[in-house]
Amino acid sequence: MTLAAASHGFLSPTGVEIAFLLVGLVTLGAAVVTVTTKQLVHAALWLVVALGGIAVEYLLLTAEFIAWVQVLIYVGSVVVLLLFGLMLTKAPIGRSENADSGNRWAALIVAVASAAALVWVVTDAFRTTWIDLDGAVQGSTEASGRSLFQYWVLPFEALSVLLLAALVGAIVLSRKNDDRERSDGSERPGSGKQSGPREQSGSREQPGSRERPGDRARLREDQG
Amino acid sequence: MSDALDIALRLIAVFVAFLVFPLVIGQTEHKVMAHMQGRLGPMYAGGFHGWAQLVADGVKFAQKEDVVPAGADRRIFQLAPAVALLPYLLVLVAIPLGPGNVVGQSLDAGIFFVLAVMGVGVLGSLMAGWASANKFSLLGGLRTAAQLLAYELPMLLAAASVAMAAGTLSLPGILDAFHWWWVPWQIVGGLVFFTAGLAELQRPPFDMPVADSEIIFGAYTEYTGLRFALFLLAEYAGILVLCALTSVLFLGGWHGPFGADGLGWLWMLLKTAVLAFGVIWLRVSYPRLREDQLQKLAWTVLIPLALAQIALTGVVKVVIS
Amino acid sequence: MAPENPEKKSGWPGSGLAKGLAVTLRTMTKRSVTEQYPEVQPELAPRTRGVIGLFEENCTVCMLCARECPDWCIYIDSHKETVPPAAPGGRERSRNVLDRFAIDFSLCMYCGICIEVCPFDALFWSPEFEYAETDIHNLTHERDKLREWMWTVPEPPALDPAAEEPKELGTARKAADKLAAQEAAERAAAQQQAAGEAPRNAAREQEGEA
Repeated sequence: MTLAAASHGFLSPTGVEIAFLLVGLVTLGAAVVTVTTKQLVHAALWLVVALGGIAVEYLLLTAEFIAWVQVLIYVGSVVVLLLFGLMLTKAPIGRSENADSGNRWAALIVAVASAAALVWVVTDAFRTTWIDLDGAVQGSTEASGRSLFQYWVLPFEALSVLLLAALVGAIVLSRKNDDRERSDGSERPGSGKQSGPREQSGSREQPGSRERPGDRARLREDQG
Repeated sequence: MSDALDIALRLIAVFVAFLVFPLVIGQTEHKVMAHMQGRLGPMYAGGFHGWAQLVADGVKFAQKEDVVPAGADRRIFQLAPAVALLPYLLVLVAIPLGPGNVVGQSLDAGIFFVLAVMGVGVLGSLMAGWASANKFSLLGGLRTAAQLLAYELPMLLAAASVAMAAGTLSLPGILDAFHWWWVPWQIVGGLVFFTAGLAELQRPPFDMPVADSEIIFGAYTEYTGLRFALFLLAEYAGILVLCALTSVLFLGGWHGPFGADGLGWLWMLLKTAVLAFGVIWLRVSYPRLREDQLQKLAWTVLIPLALAQIALTGVVKVVIS
Repeated sequence: MAPENPEKKSGWPGSGLAKGLAVTLRTMTKRSVTEQYPEVQPELAPRTRGVIGLFEENCTVCMLCARECPDWCIYIDSHKETVPPAAPGGRERSRNVLDRFAIDFSLCMYCGICIEVCPFDALFWSPEFEYAETDIHNLTHERDKLREWMWTVPEPPALDPAAEEPKELGTARKAADKLAAQEAAERAAAQQQAAGEAPRNAAREQEGEA
């Protein structure tokens, strides 16, 4: 990184800088549409545009690895999960008038506050340093890996622990229901190998309504 | 100027490959599937053993009316085929065909680029499923999403194993580091990768999202004409990409027992063709997995196997270094 | 991965999957069974039931075929003609003359009952089958067309070497034998009669023959 003064100034932008700015505008526009549109699925798809725009920004800054990870994780998985959730619950075609929440002002305040905080932190951290795009690539996989595992190991590991905690928590939450069922109906035989669980519950003199939620829970478990 | 010409030529070559090879695979599927079922397959179009069948199909598709259902979300419905197809075109750019510089565009994080963009292709199916205003399409879209979430992980893990072994994320770099004994070393990862890729492409036996006998054709139920053809083309381009990628990552791409200098591209094409034949073969041989079996296979078999492969790779890597 | 099937426990894990692949691969190497009909004529069995031919001369307009036909697809019209008496002073005979014989092959279900019931061998199966039409009315084949089919009827198959003689041949032979025996008896009687005056007669016969 070099100082801005050493590079060409703000007033004679290069092509990459112009592209960066334009993509940034598109990203911002897509993000605004994401939170204002009344069509739920459209919001998710605009989110794809916004996230993709950020990936392009990374690319323009030569951070190729980060860019593709961005696409892989956010566009490929998070948005798909989001769409999955939307389709599973409620995804009407057309406008849904009740999509607005009463907290929009609070949300706006939080958003502006966090944006201000981020901008302030970033500008304060880097001030006038400038990435030299013409020189050696600074965002390559090797450079990212080196800096990640040389200077930022501790935050990286802390994040890993955080994610692990979230993972364990998710498993605990999803299994809690199942455990209670099992302790209730403790005389229930171990998972039937010879015959289906339905038939076994029928042969037992247990009310069917007791068995059903357990079965359904197991089904849910099977589906992951 | 020669730089621009070079890039243009490469892009044209990739585009031609993108148009030709999926058709070749499709025609092979027609014929191989037919013969595996004791039939002959197409015999008329083009005269010699129906070689022009897919061209004729294309002409037919182009003539059909492009219907958009009244209740559909028009714009997204029309956009979806492009979203499904374009990623595969982009992926093809990064796959090396031969040693040295025989690649559309050498990328630093090639594996991630390829996997990320392939994942985006599924977004097209999701958009199509939702925008069709059809419950079967919606079900197909849901299944597509569930399947993608389940199989993306083992695919990534298996690819990560190769990246670990080679010490690079770039596809030509991986091929440069390749030795023949990588094949037995990474065989489990290769199988996991190929299986997960099949599932991501929704090819039989993992074609629950398009199960035509129960949800008609899943997300593509409402599509007609050229847009439907684009979806089909995306499927076959996906086969091409998956097979090429598997042979690059796990079978050594242009490496061969002999003639590596001049005939590298031939080895690469040969390996890809054999894998594509395998894809067709699996389609003919196996019945469709049920949705819960599908999920179970991913979470209880493929992911543990992929993790074991990563562990093995790590151990061997440490031992030999 | 796959649930254990109690019936076939044998084999290593995944052997079932491999078996499935082997089946399809083996089928691929075999000749396919597809008939390429318009290009290649199918090889039909010699007595294929393709179409029904009419041998008009044998038809006596007995109407049995039309009555037995389950589909009512045979149309027969006829009129009576009187035939002059065979011998002078005898009674005039009448006989049926066929005006129309038609089979509607759009109704026919190729059961062959008409051929079975025909007492005079006027109907025959022919293996011809390429008579598709663009108009359903043309599937009603009139007598001239039915006669055309008659020329495509294959010869009856040869009998087994040890088989009984066909009935009509037997009858014919019996009649011929009877005739021959009669002639022989007559000749014998004539010879006996002529034995007395043999020399004179013989000379006269020789002269006459010469």
